[in-house]
Amino acid sequence: MVDLALSHDVTSPSSARLRSSYRNDRLFHRLTLGCAVVVVAMFVGIIWSLTAGAWPAIRAFGLPFLWTEAWNPVTEKFGALAPIYGTLVTSAIAMLFAVPIGIGIAIFLTELCPRPLRRPIGIAVELLAGIPSIIYGIWGLFVLAPVLQQSVMPRVIGTFAGIPVLSSLFAGPPYGIGIFTAGLILAIMTLPFISAITRDVFEAVPPVLKEAAYGLGATTWEVLWNVVLPYTRAGVVGGVMLALGRALGETMAVTFVIGNAHRIATSLLAPGTTISAAIANEFTEAIGDLYGPALIELGLILFLVTVVVLAVAQLMLHRLELRAGERP
Amino acid sequence: MNSGYYFRRRLRNRFFLSLSVVATAFGLSWLALILGTLLYEGFSSIDLGLFIQSTPPPGSMGGLLNAILGSLMMSSFAVLIGTPLGIFAGTYLAEYGRHTKLATVVRFVNDILLSAPSIVLGLFIYDVMVLTMGHFSAWAGGVALAVIVIPVVVRTTENMLLLIPNTLREAAVALGAPRSHVIQQVTWRAARAGIVTGVLLAIARISGETAPLLFTALNNQFFSLNPNAPMASLPVAIFQMAMSPYADWHRLAWSGALLITLAVLVLSITARVLEARTDRS
Amino acid sequence: MAENGAVKVAINGLSFYYGGFQALNNITLPLYRNKVTAFIGPSGCGKSTLLRVLNRIYELYPNQRAEGEVMLDGENMLSGKLDLNQLRAKVGMVFQKPTPFPMTIFDNIAFGLQLNKSVPRAALEGRAEHALRRAALWDEVKDKLNASGTSLSGGQQQRLCIARSVAIKPELILLDEPCSALDPISTAKIEELISELCEDYTITIVTHNMQQASRVSDYTAFMFLGEVIEFGETEKIFTTPSNKRTEDYITGRFG
Repeated sequence: MVDLALSHDVTSPSSARLRSSYRNDRLFHRLTLGCAVVVVAMFVGIIWSLTAGAWPAIRAFGLPFLWTEAWNPVTEKFGALAPIYGTLVTSAIAMLFAVPIGIGIAIFLTELCPRPLRRPIGIAVELLAGIPSIIYGIWGLFVLAPVLQQSVMPRVIGTFAGIPVLSSLFAGPPYGIGIFTAGLILAIMTLPFISAITRDVFEAVPPVLKEAAYGLGATTWEVLWNVVLPYTRAGVVGGVMLALGRALGETMAVTFVIGNAHRIATSLLAPGTTISAAIANEFTEAIGDLYGPALIELGLILFLVTVVVLAVAQLMLHRLELRAGERP
Repeated sequence: MNSGYYFRRRLRNRFFLSLSVVATAFGLSWLALILGTLLYEGFSSIDLGLFIQSTPPPGSMGGLLNAILGSLMMSSFAVLIGTPLGIFAGTYLAEYGRHTKLATVVRFVNDILLSAPSIVLGLFIYDVMVLTMGHFSAWAGGVALAVIVIPVVVRTTENMLLLIPNTLREAAVALGAPRSHVIQQVTWRAARAGIVTGVLLAIARISGETAPLLFTALNNQFFSLNPNAPMASLPVAIFQMAMSPYADWHRLAWSGALLITLAVLVLSITARVLEARTDRS
Repeated sequence: MAENGAVKVAINGLSFYYGGFQALNNITLPLYRNKVTAFIGPSGCGKSTLLRVLNRIYELYPNQRAEGEVMLDGENMLSGKLDLNQLRAKVGMVFQKPTPFPMTIFDNIAFGLQLNKSVPRAALEGRAEHALRRAALWDEVKDKLNASGTSLSGGQQQRLCIARSVAIKPELILLDEPCSALDPISTAKIEELISELCEDYTITIVTHNMQQASRVSDYTAFMFLGEVIEFGETEKIFTTPSNKRTEDYITGRFG
């Protein structure tokens, strides 16, 4: 047996060791703090460099840049209206389709789906949310666009031909690519994302709340509509806004099928452009004093808009978290 | 009981719930269609040449070797710089700065960067690195990808560390261990699987990112491992080839797309399996 | 009453605040050397708070502060001049829920010993064995020292935590409801341990189980709403308490 007198050796190391251990401790703390600051620095840096890069265009065109439709690299007259319009409309079309379908899938997964299938389908939806956007882009270009051009669009144009408003919204010629196609691809891409977030939000509802409603004899739909949705309202809205933020900035899914025309047409079936598609397609060949800066200014506008949308989304999702932490 | 009203309630219930089934079938079938096309088109063009030859000029046979290697190089670089930065920042948020104002700001900014348009991140690195260096390079491409990796790793690291119960930390501190020692030897170890999952998800995310590489690493038709020059990458090669009018380039684009999708699926599935295994223990 | 030389820790006028809320009010009480002192009282009386002052673990959290004096062998533990990590190494703590570190059984014990690298590698094994024997765990784990600490049963994990604290040879051991998460057999083993350990250490135990307090401790402090209502030898407190409230609590009229 080792002789183990009750000496307190652990508590009296040499003072040199103490000093070095304190130094290491402080160093580690500073290291983590520094890295956290780097994150904020990146954000500030992005805004700074975008503003600096866009400055020549900002100075040349001023505020009217936001509502001018021109886009002429030769005369160096640029306006953001067409890209902004394209970004907003494609995202709107995407949300129009993706939100109801995405929430519908979430409802199916949380309420109707037979239990053994729940995990596999749930995992499948999450995996689909991770598929890179370029896949959707080339599928749209090679598969969807030709089908739309040959079969679907001519029929749609024909159907709406006589009707006052709809005939101009859905006017020919059937290019196959254009704003509507881009919106559709964006919708398919965004839908697993909305499903995944909405499902997480639905699962955060305390079971006792639902049980109380069922216990009163409510049907499944009534529980969803009257208890779950109001309870998760902030979360669902937050999730949708998060999806919107991503859709606004989406590049690759849209670039292939948007058509790259810097103009606003009344028809949704016409080609157009979005901010990210314009930058992706034109930046590397942008020569001239104002062409590059104009594109960078487009990027700045896009970044600021998405920051606002994402910030609102975060606040709403936060509110749901706080709510879930409250004791009923 | 008013049976007429009850009947209408049940009808409404059945109606809306069937809508959700229809929505699921509709939504999932589009996705199945896309994956099916991808598998069909991609597999029919895969052969050994894909992995041996570099991207060809239009009209001749070739492969994607330079693009694959380029993607591997730049992704590795991005993970190498992004992961430590992300883990340390996430550690700050969960361990040292949990209730500080700085942490609130960092978290807010981080979550915005997580979903920010990646093309804007590309413009940022273009300005900071490409213009400063005077040329496109794989370094710039790697850094642009790192800017995407960092927010993902910060978020998952913080979440995983917050799951570790405080009593574990207190037990280590009570023995007289300094904070940094507790974090490195106890807390990180306990959260290890979760942090690795986060890194895997970050890699899956950058595997398919095209936009940030467009103006940083550009593209390179020839075989090159020089990090100081433009470098090919799978997503950008696919972009270029798909947008072109040449059919054999289109075939290569499909195979490349299949490769990327397989990589992303394998990484995501591995991450999920890891997560499930830790949940069980 | 014992003389002053037998007092290991003298708490003088200790008050504790969670933000604006005062959780402990002017506590004065002695912890006698090599004796077991129990803190009992209803939920929220401040007994765990008092225990956690004794190794200043509350300093991990913002907005928690202590005022007053806690004299360990004549030195004020609450003084800002003291090295906190060294202080904590002198005071061992075992928590309500067993907290094995995510490492092997051996590494769990060695963790505290390797902190300042003051224990040479060659001596580590011997120290670990000694600690595990004192915690009555050695026979059960001696063949699987490389197994994960989390692979043990609840009672074994708790004894591992005790061994971990004992390994660094503290002067004071704090036990915060150590048996409340354990089954009766493990509880009995740990109570046995406590009586053995107090030969070498001064022990303070928080428990909501009065029978345990009366079995295990030499002195008992009954607390209520942040104050020490009565303190004295355990036998006296449980048979002839002087304060009516103490009597009410002990006989189960409230709490």
